[in-house]
Amino acid sequence: MTREYGKVTPEIVAELRGAAGARNVVTDDKDTMENYSYDEAGQLFGHMPDVVIRVDNTEQVSAVMKIASKYKIPVTPRGAGSGLAGSAVPVHGGIVLSLEKMNRILEIDPVNRVAVVEPGVVTNELCKAVAEKGFLYAGYPMSTETSFIGGNVATNAGGGKVIRYGSTRRHVMGLEVVLASGTVRNMGGTIRTATWGDHRGQRRAGSDGTLGIMTKIIVNLEPKPGKVVNLLTAFGTLDEAVDCVAKVIRSGVPIISCEILDRLSTAITCRYLNTSLPYQDKAAAYLIIQIEGDTDERLEDSYEKVGKILMDGGALEVFVAESRTESAAIWNVRQNLAEGARNYDPYASLSGDLVVPLSVVPEMVAESQAAAKRRGIEMGLLGHIADGNLHPIIFKPKDMEPHHWAEFAEEYFEELVGVAVRLGGVGSGEHGVGFVKMPIFLGTKSDEELAILRGIKASFDPDNIMNPGKVLGDF
Amino acid sequence: MRMAVLIKQVPATENIKIDEKTGTMIREGVEAELNPLDLHAVEEAVRLKERLGGEITVISMGPPAARRAIASAIAMGCDRGFLISDRKFAGSDTLATSLTLAAGVRKAGEFDLIFAGERATDGETGQVGPAVGRYLGASVFTYVSKVASVEGGRIVLERAVEGGHETVAAPLPALLCVVKEINTPRLCTLAGKMRARRTEIPLLDAASLGIPDAKLGLGGSPTKVVRVMYPQITRNGKIFSAADDPDGAVRAVFDLLREHGAIEEATSDAE
Repeated sequence: MTREYGKVTPEIVAELRGAAGARNVVTDDKDTMENYSYDEAGQLFGHMPDVVIRVDNTEQVSAVMKIASKYKIPVTPRGAGSGLAGSAVPVHGGIVLSLEKMNRILEIDPVNRVAVVEPGVVTNELCKAVAEKGFLYAGYPMSTETSFIGGNVATNAGGGKVIRYGSTRRHVMGLEVVLASGTVRNMGGTIRTATWGDHRGQRRAGSDGTLGIMTKIIVNLEPKPGKVVNLLTAFGTLDEAVDCVAKVIRSGVPIISCEILDRLSTAITCRYLNTSLPYQDKAAAYLIIQIEGDTDERLEDSYEKVGKILMDGGALEVFVAESRTESAAIWNVRQNLAEGARNYDPYASLSGDLVVPLSVVPEMVAESQAAAKRRGIEMGLLGHIADGNLHPIIFKPKDMEPHHWAEFAEEYFEELVGVAVRLGGVGSGEHGVGFVKMPIFLGTKSDEELAILRGIKASFDPDNIMNPGKVLGDF
Repeated sequence: MRMAVLIKQVPATENIKIDEKTGTMIREGVEAELNPLDLHAVEEAVRLKERLGGEITVISMGPPAARRAIASAIAMGCDRGFLISDRKFAGSDTLATSLTLAAGVRKAGEFDLIFAGERATDGETGQVGPAVGRYLGASVFTYVSKVASVEGGRIVLERAVEGGHETVAAPLPALLCVVKEINTPRLCTLAGKMRARRTEIPLLDAASLGIPDAKLGLGGSPTKVVRVMYPQITRNGKIFSAADDPDGAVRAVFDLLREHGAIEEATSDAE
């Protein structure tokens, strides 16, 4: 069922202006508002808001929520808009509440090993700031130079370092959250263990903004890793690359990242960047593996060990990138895959985000390829393969209408999620559920489980005004 | 073909910090790497070896840790390396460095071709390569963008010059400072890295080079850093509110720009 939400009247706009400052409230500039109507899932999935509010601080968020709550106006929180599941799209109109101006790093606490940040901080800026103090913020989504920490938490972003450090949820130490009612709640902070409920507010991680608006985030800091090298390994077949992964992980060598790129995704990204990787004419797939060692000697022992596993596993060649310049050349390709895909086909669908146990990754890859072949569509594969987190990318056939394509692409992913679930996995590893993945998500959950989740949501947000139409649907 | 490549280990950063008291670079806490521009010199030598055969010797002057940079070059395909290192070399300017390097090259053997990068990303002088060539009595070419041929004791190459390229032929031995457009350096293979790890890199110290102490290091360096200054970059933000009087605000902006000479008085024609 769809609830009756309140309409945004001129009187309510006036109240919102009073609450958030007139210059922060946009209602009649269509061009600006359109920028807030879609995310990286694509404009096909967009929906116009009635009002965009670019808040400066927690007090304004709270004041806006009080008004929204009074008039039952839907509120869609938004960070950088780099999400791939439509989580920041105002599907019911109403208010888009942008946190882009709340972008300060408030504190880096070296003793308690935490940083306190506002949600609009670009993740890469946080990484750089803490690195200067000798720490690592271990979140490393591939969009690290654009995405915000708030969105990373909201989607429980994964990325390139999950195998070593876990996904964003694990880095959340505490939160300041504004609930639907406008109440400001503080959770967690600097303590590291408690049998005391959801003490760190980690329930928000992966909640897609449906449980409140995060206005401060306290993140865990790790010690800066020692020396690292990156191995770029070319394989003649995708299967050989996939088969090596478990062996590499099992080797006991400290692995920070293990990424896979297939031939098509490499080719289109290299073309976009006007670069190339070695063996590009022969390689069906590459693995990029980052290894850590506390001394040069140990690091060399480690990469020789992993290199031998890869060569024994059929690698065409293993390349070792040690310096900043060499490493950047490799990671640049991995980090620009999304742009490469969009450059190749503006309708490229990047929303595939499957996770399966490592043991069945080969099967998942094969099924993804077979399903694309049956439909006669081109597919590229990339992913954080050591986590079993795969991102098949599919491209629109030239003669297909864009609107038909959006549906067609989601049908493809729906089939793959079915396979992933059958294999013991899930349909969203790090992009969030949003509304693009919502039907698939709902289809894999029992009524009982949904009732519990909706109960939790209702306890924070009885009128379902917090990012409605996402994750759990309209209820 | 007997080839040598001169390389330097540099801080792996774009923000080099200078100790304002001593005028020297702060190296603590900064990772080091093989000068990115030298990678092109190594690559070109390795490509020539693949085409014509021969042996490549890598030579670097620096602290003991510079062995890693030499090992990187060996991993790319060079055959052997020498590290020129001694406390007496500390504080060398480009003149003392060139003299020392040239002596090291002589010690390492005879060469038909010597490669160097365009410049090091830390010192940014571009003087050492050509000076070594002069000390060795080789033909010296800077901004080399292509090696066209090497045969019969002659080299034909292209230099990147303003507005185009010039083709030059010269007798060997020659020293070439290459620009980065000349090639794309390869990544080291695992096998190359393993070989480099097991390759002994002999040390050449002051005693073995036979240069008088007076010509070494700080004492042999006529260049003195008198003072190091950072360019002062200041930004003074000024907000002109257009809320009450937009025309007045625009006039105020123009006045300020004129005052700083950023724009000139409009002539009556322009108006």
